[in-house]
Amino acid sequence: MKIEKANVGNLTNFEVFDFLRSRGATSDPMGCIGSVSPSECKVFEYLSGSPACMQTRESVNEFLIKADKFKFITTFEKLNIVNSTPTVMPALYATIKDCDKRIAKEKEQIAKENQLEEDQLQELLELVKEIFPLPAEELEELSQ
Amino acid sequence: MFYLSQIERNLKMPPHLLKPSLLDGELEKGIRGELEKLYLDKVITNLGLCISVYDIQSFEGGFIFPGDDGCATYKVRCRLVMFQPFVGEVIVGKIESCDEFGLQASLGFFSDIRIPERFMVQPCHRGEDGIWVWQFKVDNEEFQYSLDIDEEIRFRVASVKYPPTPVEQSENSKPFSPMEITGYINGDGLGLVSWW
Repeated sequence: MKIEKANVGNLTNFEVFDFLRSRGATSDPMGCIGSVSPSECKVFEYLSGSPACMQTRESVNEFLIKADKFKFITTFEKLNIVNSTPTVMPALYATIKDCDKRIAKEKEQIAKENQLEEDQLQELLELVKEIFPLPAEELEELSQ
Repeated sequence: MFYLSQIERNLKMPPHLLKPSLLDGELEKGIRGELEKLYLDKVITNLGLCISVYDIQSFEGGFIFPGDDGCATYKVRCRLVMFQPFVGEVIVGKIESCDEFGLQASLGFFSDIRIPERFMVQPCHRGEDGIWVWQFKVDNEEFQYSLDIDEEIRFRVASVKYPPTPVEQSENSKPFSPMEITGYINGDGLGLVSWW
């Protein structure tokens, strides 16, 4: 076997979910037999329980375009955010490596623009909530 | 978590798979089946766990070499969907078990995820029932949060290792895992999903 190219491109969880779904995987493990293998079915099951199952190609593209203006996050962090769709600030902190240190550095750089760094994070969080809304039952649970 | 990997392989197609394939023009299906047998659910060192065959880009050849039991050898180029989280990625899994060294988490299709004690939320200790408990102090009030089995846990990947295959294994040692992920949960937003 020859590895021609180890990494042709990263895939978001949504893309893998969509690919397995198009091959015939379903949430019902018995229904998967014949079209996909049991191991693919397990991956599909895991992804069905993650935010990826609620996403669409358009929403992921929209997020990536709109998140471009936040210069302090890298492509991998954007991938992290798309895969985990944080809805609260601590979860967003978790997806961005060394968040506090980067904020302090960013503060010096954008001081002239007079914008607080936390505002940027809050804006990012609002963008995530807008493009990847939680399903109705989860919202109800949270408000209770 | 996932990415595409392009590989090239000289694939031997056994004759019983060739006959129906050539007749129906479904040679590609037969090749796909063989590739899946070879790679699906297997770990390729430094690439990760193969989840699926994404597509077959090209195949050529089909020569039958002497001494090959009538197998036709095709040079196949295909792309595989590999699972290998990058360092720093945040993943949600389930706590599968715990021991004196720490926790073990699972994603359903992959279970060799370890969260050693030094990477867990501090301070924590192990209770009498074996479950790890996080002691959280705020304003002189102490809260105890236990990390129960089957709870959903959000962790960040610290490293992905591929230990070499052992030549000999004693009977009592735990089964060999070709790919091991180490995670940590001592940070904002990490730990049990229900905490945040």
